[in-house]
Amino acid sequence: MKNTDKLTKDLAPRKFGKAGVIWTWSLIVISVLGIIAYIDQVIKGQMVTNMNDYALWGIYISNFVFFVATSFVGTVTVAVLRLTNNSWRTPIVRIAEIISLASIIMAGITIMIDMGRPDRLLNLFIHARLQSPITWDVIIIPTYIVISLLLLYFPLLPDLALLKKHYKKTKPKLSKWYGKLSLNWTGSDAQKKIQLKSIHIIAILTIPAGFMLQTIDAWLFSTLFRVGWDSTNMGAYFISGASVAGVGALVAVVYVIQKAYKLEDYITDYHFDKLGKFLVLTCLIYLYFNINEYLLPQLTSKKEEITHANVLFTGEYAPLFWFVTVGGLVIPIIVLLFKKGRKPLPMFLIGLLVVLGSWWKRYLIVTPTLLHPFLPIQGVPESWRHYFPSLHEWLITAATLAMALLIITILVRYLPVIPIQRTAEERELLKKEENNKS
Amino acid sequence: MENNKKNSRRYFLGNGLKLSLATALGTIGLAKFTSKLKAKTDNNTVETMELMTTDGTLIEVDTSEVVDVKHSKDHKKKYNLREGMPNRKFVMVIDLAKCKNALKCQIACNKHHYITGDHAWIKVYKMQEDEDTAPYWMPTTCMHCDHPACVTVCPVDATFKRRDGLVLIDNERCIGCRFCMAACPYSTRVFNWSEPAYGEETEITMNMHMQHVEHNSIEFTGMPSVKGTVDKCDFCPHTIKENILPHCVTACPNGVFYFGDKYEDTVTNGEETLRLSKLIVDKHGYRLMEGLGTKPSVYYLPPVDRLVDFEDGLKDFTDFKSVDKPE
Amino acid sequence: MNLIRKNNENHIINRDIASKSLLKIRYFFLMVLSVFLLSISLNNLWAQEVQKHRVRIRTDYVKIMDGEVYFDIKANSRINKRNVNISNIELIVTNEFDDEEIELGRVKTNMKGESRLILKSLSVIRPDSTKTYNVVVQFKGNDTLKSVSKSINFKDAIIEANLITKDSINYISATLKDANSNSVIVGELLDVQIQRLFRPLKIGEEFNNTDDNGSILVPVEDGIPGVDGMLTFEIVLNESDDYGTVKDLISAPVGIPIVDESTFDDREMWSPRSKTPLYLLIIPNLLTFGMWVIIVYLIMNLFKIVKS
Repeated sequence: MKNTDKLTKDLAPRKFGKAGVIWTWSLIVISVLGIIAYIDQVIKGQMVTNMNDYALWGIYISNFVFFVATSFVGTVTVAVLRLTNNSWRTPIVRIAEIISLASIIMAGITIMIDMGRPDRLLNLFIHARLQSPITWDVIIIPTYIVISLLLLYFPLLPDLALLKKHYKKTKPKLSKWYGKLSLNWTGSDAQKKIQLKSIHIIAILTIPAGFMLQTIDAWLFSTLFRVGWDSTNMGAYFISGASVAGVGALVAVVYVIQKAYKLEDYITDYHFDKLGKFLVLTCLIYLYFNINEYLLPQLTSKKEEITHANVLFTGEYAPLFWFVTVGGLVIPIIVLLFKKGRKPLPMFLIGLLVVLGSWWKRYLIVTPTLLHPFLPIQGVPESWRHYFPSLHEWLITAATLAMALLIITILVRYLPVIPIQRTAEERELLKKEENNKS
Repeated sequence: MENNKKNSRRYFLGNGLKLSLATALGTIGLAKFTSKLKAKTDNNTVETMELMTTDGTLIEVDTSEVVDVKHSKDHKKKYNLREGMPNRKFVMVIDLAKCKNALKCQIACNKHHYITGDHAWIKVYKMQEDEDTAPYWMPTTCMHCDHPACVTVCPVDATFKRRDGLVLIDNERCIGCRFCMAACPYSTRVFNWSEPAYGEETEITMNMHMQHVEHNSIEFTGMPSVKGTVDKCDFCPHTIKENILPHCVTACPNGVFYFGDKYEDTVTNGEETLRLSKLIVDKHGYRLMEGLGTKPSVYYLPPVDRLVDFEDGLKDFTDFKSVDKPE
Repeated sequence: MNLIRKNNENHIINRDIASKSLLKIRYFFLMVLSVFLLSISLNNLWAQEVQKHRVRIRTDYVKIMDGEVYFDIKANSRINKRNVNISNIELIVTNEFDDEEIELGRVKTNMKGESRLILKSLSVIRPDSTKTYNVVVQFKGNDTLKSVSKSINFKDAIIEANLITKDSINYISATLKDANSNSVIVGELLDVQIQRLFRPLKIGEEFNNTDDNGSILVPVEDGIPGVDGMLTFEIVLNESDDYGTVKDLISAPVGIPIVDESTFDDREMWSPRSKTPLYLLIIPNLLTFGMWVIIVYLIMNLFKIVKS
């Protein structure tokens, strides 16, 4: 069909230009540096980090929480928007699924970096105790990886078939791969029926799976006694925070892809406008949770909670706290409430700000609580009363972020970022409607 | 005649010289021989071993003098090491009225568990709840809680609660996730961030390895410590099963620590032996952070009618150090 | 001829002189040699004498009624101004009576400098004519330590202890007697205690002195816990100058039984994985199973798509 041919031509993955190649190579270099730093950590032990017996979790864990949060975008965009019949989501669902998959894979890898004895990884399966929140994490993360993969794969089948046709002459080898992966997709009624039913099932399954993932992640903290973590709020707090992080990341990546592949016809200002409204909604909900979490101690609370809140408001972590709250939450809300703020470029900047704020927010969740335990910190070196990540930790964390981006890059390079078949069908439907009207 | 005289003189001189030479050599040889014999009886071999005496000093001992002692009482009842000694529930009582921060408990614990990191297992805190309340010294060990938060969150069953009340760590299974450390409200757990600094094959390491080989590592925490795993106070199971009090209890010069079996309702600090229930009632024993519901096994006796002034302990207070490192 | 004879004579005379001188020389050198050797050996002996340390031995005699008798022997020495326990030395324990000496046994001190010689009963030792038992502990000495011997003298005392109940209160009644004369010993301190894990628990007054009948009466409180309610009482005459330490043991079910309070067998959040709480066994597994059943179904759908 002419339509699909044009669409395919527009949306088929292309070779990277110069910028793309430099981008990819930088990511590879950062990843390699991180791997070297990790090998050093395995040899010497975690003394290469700046963690100590009080700041016993550092940016490895906050990075892990960030990845888990960002992977929520799959659930939120695909499932929620789908179930509420927001048809504008079509051009961005694929990107959302890709980000989701990349994040959850990196979450699984990042948590292993924090283990003191990664050689005993199998103990988590052989000797697993169901009473431990970590075991629940060990169950839900692989489950969610598989679900994200299926969520990406099922709608991809018709597009892969189209790509096979598209590349038959120009790139026969690549075409063969697409063919294999498309599972002999012919577009027949039988196949379509199975595919649509499967997509429907997986879209529904990803909702409880995604919610469980975020809740378990939250319960890693709220099942402990510590001040700042011992909150019954944590589950909902994390789900809301994950929506913000996920949608923020989505906005940033969508903008980059749109500009790089010149997809203005498909991802229009309208889409950005809608995404902007979605982001504002998630940010407002998250702001509400933040007010509950941080304003309440100022009104009335136990001694320890007031101390904790003060450390964030006026103490050692104040600059970071205000950057995260004002820069990462309040400013995005204000900007996005205006139509001008929902134009592509401001959206991209806001998206970046939201992601940055989300990453540092997880740092604020993990570290300050650990540094004021119930009993005073005495009898240990003075440096143990503070924590700032070491070079090794930065390198390794940067590598995990680079690897996440690398996965996204590779998937974007070889997969159509906008569902071709579905776009075609939607456009046909639109045309038919127009024809009917006129 | 003169010839003869000359001859005899020569004969005399010649033989005499030979004889004297022989004698001299022989004497020297004999002297050396006897001195070597003496040396041998003094030092059998040149080999010496560095061992630790029961009060924590290092001495050099001939390896020939060291005899492998068969451990006497490991024996009567063999029990599953993860289940613990039957019919016992170990508790400790710490009398805050007597503590003056002598830190002998910490020194003994550090020595007997070969602690080489920066963080001791037993810490004596300088406590003062508020400016208006009185300061006091508070030694803390692991509380061996009956509802332990740390055991609940361990994903691999590396830390476990025994029937006899002890909470121990299997550092062959620990994966180093430090979730237990995050869960413990008493900040009692310690992590081995690097390879323990025992040094090259010193005699101490060899001694430790000898013990470790004979006994299961669960009851010998820290001997040796394993990189990337968690350690903590273990109430010295290797000692208490020989009916000897834990090291901190015997080391304290002020009788601060009482240890015993709750089922026998008896605790002792080595000198005084008292009924636990009576002690708790008479001196209003309480437990730390009772409101958290962890049900610790360590009772504190409040610092009333203090035997010593708080200020006396300040001279030994080291805010930033709890382990003496060798120079 | 004269010359020859003279020569011969001279020769003979010279030989005589020579041999006589040789003898003298030999004798002389032999003396020198022996002096050398003597001085060396004396030197050695001297050296040893200067370096040796004195050993202190402390012996405690303990007798358990109707049971064994043992001697706890501790050896230590002051080396470099510090008290050091002497380990791994052999001590010979002998019994001296009426000019005779029988060896009772030999023991070696352990790493802490302690040793114990256990005898089946006191009858192994013979008292002297005054009915005093004389035991000597000897250390022969070695290269670094002087030899030493310490004697310990004691008479035999017996404790007769019973558990009696009067007006539904339990008492420990004990009488201290001299074994030889069978007369009671008045005014001695007896300790009544219950065997516990690390140190025994004293009951009764702080000072229980034997009255004019050589007896004490100590009430036993109610509510002392013991395994299956059994309590083992020790009635002890501690380190008396004349009689050493004498101990009598009574086991009686006058305690309250121990109840196991541990949660080891229960299904709790802190139990090992074989005892996880039921709701945790059921719900997470159900959820996981449910999700994976659907995932497997979806993967099967993929295969269906391939086939059709």
